[in-house]
Amino acid sequence: MGGHPVGEEAVIRMSEHRQFDQAGHANAAAADPGRHDREAAASDEDSEYGHLEPLLTEYAQLTEGDPARAGLRERLITGFLPIAHHLARRYSQRGVPTEDLAQVASLGLVQAIDRYDPNLGHNFLAFAIPTMQGEVRRYFRDRTWSMRVPRRLRELHIQIGHATRDLSQQLGRAPRPSEIAAKLGISAEEVLEGLEAGTAYSASSLDRELDGSDSEGSALAERLGANDPQLELVEIHHTLQPLLATLPARERAILLMRFFGNMTQTQIAEKVGISQMHVSRLLAKTLADLRERLEPA
Amino acid sequence: MRAVESDHQTALVADVDRVRGVSVQGLAQPWIVPTVRTLAADLAARADFDLDFISDLRMAVDEVCAALVRLADPDKRLRCSFQLAADWMSAEVSVVPRESGAQVSTTGFGWRVLQSLVDEVSVSTGDEDATQWVGIRLVKKQSSG
Repeated sequence: MGGHPVGEEAVIRMSEHRQFDQAGHANAAAADPGRHDREAAASDEDSEYGHLEPLLTEYAQLTEGDPARAGLRERLITGFLPIAHHLARRYSQRGVPTEDLAQVASLGLVQAIDRYDPNLGHNFLAFAIPTMQGEVRRYFRDRTWSMRVPRRLRELHIQIGHATRDLSQQLGRAPRPSEIAAKLGISAEEVLEGLEAGTAYSASSLDRELDGSDSEGSALAERLGANDPQLELVEIHHTLQPLLATLPARERAILLMRFFGNMTQTQIAEKVGISQMHVSRLLAKTLADLRERLEPA
Repeated sequence: MRAVESDHQTALVADVDRVRGVSVQGLAQPWIVPTVRTLAADLAARADFDLDFISDLRMAVDEVCAALVRLADPDKRLRCSFQLAADWMSAEVSVVPRESGAQVSTTGFGWRVLQSLVDEVSVSTGDEDATQWVGIRLVKKQSSG
């Protein structure tokens, strides 16, 4: 697999914590690579990105359906893109390809461009850089194992994922553990172990390999469409809607399909192009997040 | 179980009875929730329900426990019992509310989620030894196919 060994991930987490402990002291800049960018950006902005400022104002003033919007958005994205790449490089050397990070940071940039409100008075980069950093941090967090899982179990988990996909297609439903065991020629107990291993990480580099899908983000969002089936009927519409809007496109689509579209996880997995186990994890995680925000303990 | 380690004052009691039932109880505090949902998923997997069933049940039990722990007296017990049959499983979870008369919300998103995840879900209340309890019972059936 082209991913990152568990040990390396663990080291990354630890070093991040260490840096956070020292934040505010001599190493503060190291703990917050974006700090430098923000400071530099504030002073360089006029020279380097100043010409984009009027475009931002213009963009923010256009209404949703304005035909001029797409072109303007494109110019803004292209114009600010070097910042996303610069940020990505600062987070590289952590076991994740820089191109992946650049893509993630660009996603944050697009969000920042869409959400920026010049009327609030702060400059764009002061808003955009933390947004991009947030995306990058989320990316690292989502790809970090929450528990150390032995290599044997990780491989077993991948095998189970493959078998599940094949069996789902054959059977037209999710397979039972016994069916997976029979297909792989292993014991039911081993299948249970492998399934349990899957709950030990928070989301997954594994699934990316499993599904062969790298195309997350905007392309996927387009593929899924933006339909909110039946949501209007729901009493909690008003409280839920704003929270849904903050979810990543994929998580949001999966949530809607499962709880408002009456689709099974296996059907969703097929539609979205990820594994059933990944759907399961994303749903559980999204629900826990929403619960926390809807009804803080 | 790990949950026991995190709160030594509470014993986690699991007993398996003759009719394919398993019950578990412990203080109604957040740490018990992962243990109970993992038990639910493990029982479902060992009973060979399909993967959709297993993860739906895990989420449903998680949702139920979280909802009840939120209104529970944390010094009283959360009780959970599972029943298993060939093509369905049920779970009944109950707690003693912190404030008397506390109700489980059946209008929010959480309830909507439960209705999507399982076939039947209902709220129950009652008294035992003059102590009020509030519970949620759910049944999930294995769809044929």
